Amino acid sequence: MRRTSERRTLVALAAVVPLLLTGVAACGSDPGGDGGDVTITFVWWGSEGRANLTKKAVELFQQKNPKIKVQTSFSAYAAYWEKLATQTAGGKPPDVLNVDTRYLAEYGGRNVLADLNGGAGKAISLADINPELAATGVYQGKRYAVPWAQNTPAMLYDPAAFTAAGADPAKGLTWDQYADATQKVSAAGGFAARGATDFGILDTTLEIWLRQQGKQFYTPEGKLGFAADDLRRYWQLAGRFRDAKGASPADVTASYNTSPEQSPLGKKLTSSEFAYDNLLPAYQKANGKPLNVAPYPADTAGNTGQYRRPSMFLAVSARSPQQEAAAKLVDFLVNDAEVGKIVGTDRGLAPNLKVRAQLAASAKGSDKTLYDYEAALEPKLGAAPPVPPKGAGAIQKLLQRTYEEVAFGRMSLDDAVSRFMSEAQKGLG
Amino acid sequence: MTTVRTPDPPVAPKAARVPGSPDRPAGRRRKSQPEAFAFLTPWLLGAVALTIGPMVVSLYLSFTDYDLFTSPKWVGFGNFAHMFTDDDRYLQSVKVTLVYVLVSVPLKLTVSLLVAMLLNTRRGGSGFYRAAFYAPSLLGASVAAALVWRALFMGGGPVNEVLAFFGWHTPSWVDDPQFSLASIVLLGVWQFGAPMVIFLAGLKQIPAELHEAAAIDGAGAFRRFRHITLPMLSPVIFFNLVMEAIHAFQAFTPAFVIGGGRGGPADADLFYTLYLFEVGFQDFRMGYASAMAWVLLAVIAIVTAIVFRTAKLWVFYDDAGERR
Repeated sequence: MRRTSERRTLVALAAVVPLLLTGVAACGSDPGGDGGDVTITFVWWGSEGRANLTKKAVELFQQKNPKIKVQTSFSAYAAYWEKLATQTAGGKPPDVLNVDTRYLAEYGGRNVLADLNGGAGKAISLADINPELAATGVYQGKRYAVPWAQNTPAMLYDPAAFTAAGADPAKGLTWDQYADATQKVSAAGGFAARGATDFGILDTTLEIWLRQQGKQFYTPEGKLGFAADDLRRYWQLAGRFRDAKGASPADVTASYNTSPEQSPLGKKLTSSEFAYDNLLPAYQKANGKPLNVAPYPADTAGNTGQYRRPSMFLAVSARSPQQEAAAKLVDFLVNDAEVGKIVGTDRGLAPNLKVRAQLAASAKGSDKTLYDYEAALEPKLGAAPPVPPKGAGAIQKLLQRTYEEVAFGRMSLDDAVSRFMSEAQKGLG
Repeated sequence: MTTVRTPDPPVAPKAARVPGSPDRPAGRRRKSQPEAFAFLTPWLLGAVALTIGPMVVSLYLSFTDYDLFTSPKWVGFGNFAHMFTDDDRYLQSVKVTLVYVLVSVPLKLTVSLLVAMLLNTRRGGSGFYRAAFYAPSLLGASVAAALVWRALFMGGGPVNEVLAFFGWHTPSWVDDPQFSLASIVLLGVWQFGAPMVIFLAGLKQIPAELHEAAAIDGAGAFRRFRHITLPMLSPVIFFNLVMEAIHAFQAFTPAFVIGGGRGGPADADLFYTLYLFEVGFQDFRMGYASAMAWVLLAVIAIVTAIVFRTAKLWVFYDDAGERR
């Protein structure tokens, strides 16, 4: 009796132990190896349409580098960062990753990203990239990322509506003229749709507005570059648009999210919105009417505060065992002329100036509008501001929700300003 | 109904000596423990690796400053102190969650009980309606249901249109701080199927004689409900109350989707779990998020304990002799 029970224990253990072992083996298995084929992972954010273009570019890379296999995945902007944070915390960040300037310090400063100035990063050529643009990937002396595309903060608008209101944003408006025009646009539509999306929530617009006055959003030391009074004046400006019903009502403003399809302009609830010039085709598709791109309104002509912005970066994981293959992919995506043709202006203008010139020569439709706009603006563009500090991603959301308190009339302007300043200072540490 | 009975399955002849069978002396039973553990191993591995282990780690992390990428720094009770003294958004998330629990749970229980009573009256098609009413709760925490909800309640959506038809012009419910939480409460209430089915089972357990006797004595429908249905149903109400309260405290998906993933307009939908998620996975403050999770666990445990304590006062068990 005793023996049978013992035997059964053994059988049971025999059944369980291999399970355990395979589990352990799976944990310990080493990716890559043998000098032959290598597999790297590559992630980005964006829509399905963007994913199709990017996958085509990756396929081309695999054809030219048959020994490198690339596993891709993508998600929407917010979900992307949540997923990336979890993967990184788990010690398995992707080999090649898409990084935003708002999160560059967060990841670079914590040694998640490889310094591309040396090592495998030497495979990435920056020769044909505007040096000012290339410098935006450098944080505290280390090149954590390479610009994947260039864009510029800009105003997107419905030219028919503004022409009817007697204004031509493309020629450059003052803030007063813009306020006046939006009020007229709203009135023409019986105030159902409005002239502008309320910009009190937008950190990029605040940044441009500050730059027009010679100030900056963040100092190079990573502190706020403006005072409570600056923010108060900015929100007072936005308040003028709101009170005159030139800007969207609070509930429409609150529905804003960064995707063109779901933004007020994309949903035809407003006739102009501050965004980035490269989003023109996407906005146009969502809105249905022909849209145009214009420089920011400015009170001194020529001083629009706009700059050459890295619309997004590519980076290589510092923990990747395949940094050479990863760097090869980055170089290919940034500099290859074929890739430029495939991805077009989806993320912005090609970072490689030679590729960009080729594409500009053959552009059509809203792409052509974009290239012409950038070409005209190029000489006026300033250098990009310093890399935003850790916590910049949270500041964007803080600005949005404190302004909403004002727009919904739940908080006085002064209270909202002091809440923003105190929470921002806490968040930036 | 047919009267043909399927024959009972043949009773398996009792094996002469089935090891571990209950007729063996108690002393023998203990000997078989090692193999019991061997067979439990897969479950134990899962419990230790996926539940207990992470819980222990999160308890440790709750006393640290941990940014996910660099190693945690011990800060003692700092996270807990910060929560209650220096974090307005934390207090906002507590407020939103309490309002949600206090409004949605009673509302949901009332609706589910009313529907259960309606379905308990024998009418044609009650099986269909039971299934139809239960269906929404199968979608429970689903993103799809929340997305549909958002579309229903957003500016220019069907709800706006219908209300405007009756002369009540409302803003976009999901994007207005005054209405946003209400739309999430309504979504929670709409998914009343699970407690409804349990109520229905409870109602069917109440002996019809009680109602018949009371009716003969002249008790009206309301008195019968008050003095028969409610007391007889109280154990079921108790169960549903505990379960729904726990669920409500942990609500996440509807708030995440309807609030646009950021706590809604002006933080009006900043549920506790949502803020916890944001702190941990968007702001990279996993130590603080862990501390928040443990406070939530403690609060749920305390609330449940209180409900259990008060149960003695209002929960009636039919088998009074075994009442504890």
